[in-house]
Amino acid sequence: MTAPTRPVAATTSVATTVTAPPSALTGTAPAAPAAPATTTARAGASRPAGAGPGSRRRSWLRPSARRLARRALLRALVPTLLVAAWCAASYGGLVREIYLPTPTAMWSAFVDMRDALPGALVTSVGMTLTGYGLGLALGVGMGLAFAYSQLLRDLLGGVLDFIRPTPVFALIPLFLLWFGIGRGPQIALIAMGTSVVLSVTTLDAVRNVSPTHIRAAATLGATRRTIYRTVVLPSIFPHLLGAVRFSAAAAWGLDVAAELIGSQNGLGYLMMTRQQYIDTAGVLVVVVIYGLLATVLDRVIVLVERPLTAWTTREQPSATETAFRAG
Amino acid sequence: MNRSRGPRDMDPEDMDPEDIDSPEAGAGCLELCSLHVRLGGRAILAGIDLVVAPHEFVALVGPSGCGKTTLLGTVAGFVRPEHGEVRYGGRAVVGAGPERAMVFQDDAVFPWMRVRTNVAYGLKVRGVPRHERARLVDEALDLVGLRSSAGLWPRQLSGGMRKRVDIARALAVDPPVLLMDEPYGALDMMTKQRLQTEFEEIFERSRMTVLFVTHDLEEAVYLSDRVVVLAPRPGRVAETLEIPLPRPRPAEVKLTPEFQDLRRRLGRLVEAAEAAADVRGAA
Repeated sequence: MTAPTRPVAATTSVATTVTAPPSALTGTAPAAPAAPATTTARAGASRPAGAGPGSRRRSWLRPSARRLARRALLRALVPTLLVAAWCAASYGGLVREIYLPTPTAMWSAFVDMRDALPGALVTSVGMTLTGYGLGLALGVGMGLAFAYSQLLRDLLGGVLDFIRPTPVFALIPLFLLWFGIGRGPQIALIAMGTSVVLSVTTLDAVRNVSPTHIRAAATLGATRRTIYRTVVLPSIFPHLLGAVRFSAAAAWGLDVAAELIGSQNGLGYLMMTRQQYIDTAGVLVVVVIYGLLATVLDRVIVLVERPLTAWTTREQPSATETAFRAG
Repeated sequence: MNRSRGPRDMDPEDMDPEDIDSPEAGAGCLELCSLHVRLGGRAILAGIDLVVAPHEFVALVGPSGCGKTTLLGTVAGFVRPEHGEVRYGGRAVVGAGPERAMVFQDDAVFPWMRVRTNVAYGLKVRGVPRHERARLVDEALDLVGLRSSAGLWPRQLSGGMRKRVDIARALAVDPPVLLMDEPYGALDMMTKQRLQTEFEEIFERSRMTVLFVTHDLEEAVYLSDRVVVLAPRPGRVAETLEIPLPRPRPAEVKLTPEFQDLRRRLGRLVEAAEAAADVRGAA
């Protein structure tokens, strides 16, 4: 290795005199320069010119690729440590099984529930998506209608201002009393809970539409309804995304709550039965499934949304990010 | 703008081209009749009287706070006057109307539409058929030199180019009256001068009547046929200065003694309007 590295060290020595003393670089003994030569080779590789024969070990990774690899490692670090800690704590007997089951116990709980899971999954996913879909339509529709009509705001504004902040979970006993046990009230609960944040956000987003855009459309001959369709709707879209994602996550939570109380089917119900058997591993399996479902739905929303908001600049690094990097 | 007139000109609000050419026909006139505007309890405009002839370019200048933008907003139909009215073609103006297109000081380009769709917007909401629309959009893009950027998103354009899109969008509907509210206010000097020269040529070839708000006196003299100086608190017409410079006006006009003389006289008029208002305010 010493023979091919020496030319590299020589070319980079001018710029890296601090890291490598000149005496070492000019050393003639074949064994002596080995250590300093490697340090200068590493320094040389950080700039494009350093891709000489000596930096063979690093040349396959460009600086940008190396940055990506480093970030991937950093991202994997904490999850790996957590899993390691989990294994150590559970297998090592530091924590009792009913508090924290071992991965093996979770796997066998999963295998035990094999027969019940598909049905529960279909029930819960169906209910959550139906409720969320209704809530989405209801919330955005209500927000738009309210923004459009002063009459509607005057008529229903007060009532809704009272209902909105009321915790939806507080309504569960009433829902049970009024509608009994079944899918209908559960779906209604999810729809109500998700529509709240969406209607408020929609109304806010409409209020923040640029007046210049609205006026420009008006001077070009657009009617009020046309302005709503062609200016207001597209402008509020990016502002709704946060609420759309947030309420999707909330929909799963509402589903769990609804099933824990009034249900004989579904993932939440399955979780409750596992809990009654003090089967912590089973409960955790359902929790993980909920987590995966919520993540998948969130990803789907982002994917669907992306082409619809292609006109925003979000795909570029944000201004703050760039500023910090430069600083 | 010697365009063949399309079906959108069947609009009853649109003038017959012959009428627009003759100043005598009150039909194509934009009239501001003793306009009083009050906003938030404060009198912003107090008795503005102004008649803009067809194919006339009138610039409105004045110290800040003299109600230039409010005046333009009233003509556009966004601001309702307390007394008086704005008349176009002899009829009182109520609300925004397609015969009075406007170019704003802020960026009014729709960021969710590509350049071409932006320029087509006015034609589309008026129901101009697709074929006709494509042709008119191309014409408007050519006028401002943006044909090759038609497929871009507004965020990919510079400030000057976005302003051109704004102007092209207003020109595409071939408005008899164009209202411009400090359209070049936010641009750098070079871009501003290029766009001014460009717009002078466009105006030359068009049949438009233009009402142009600016705080740049050189711009006012260069572009307009008549400069109206407003006095502040409350806004009213202080002076009017005719600009008899012949058209077309290449950019070099700005170097001639005639231009410089007009520019100086306008500067004195604006100062006088401001001073008079200060005296009144102190009294």
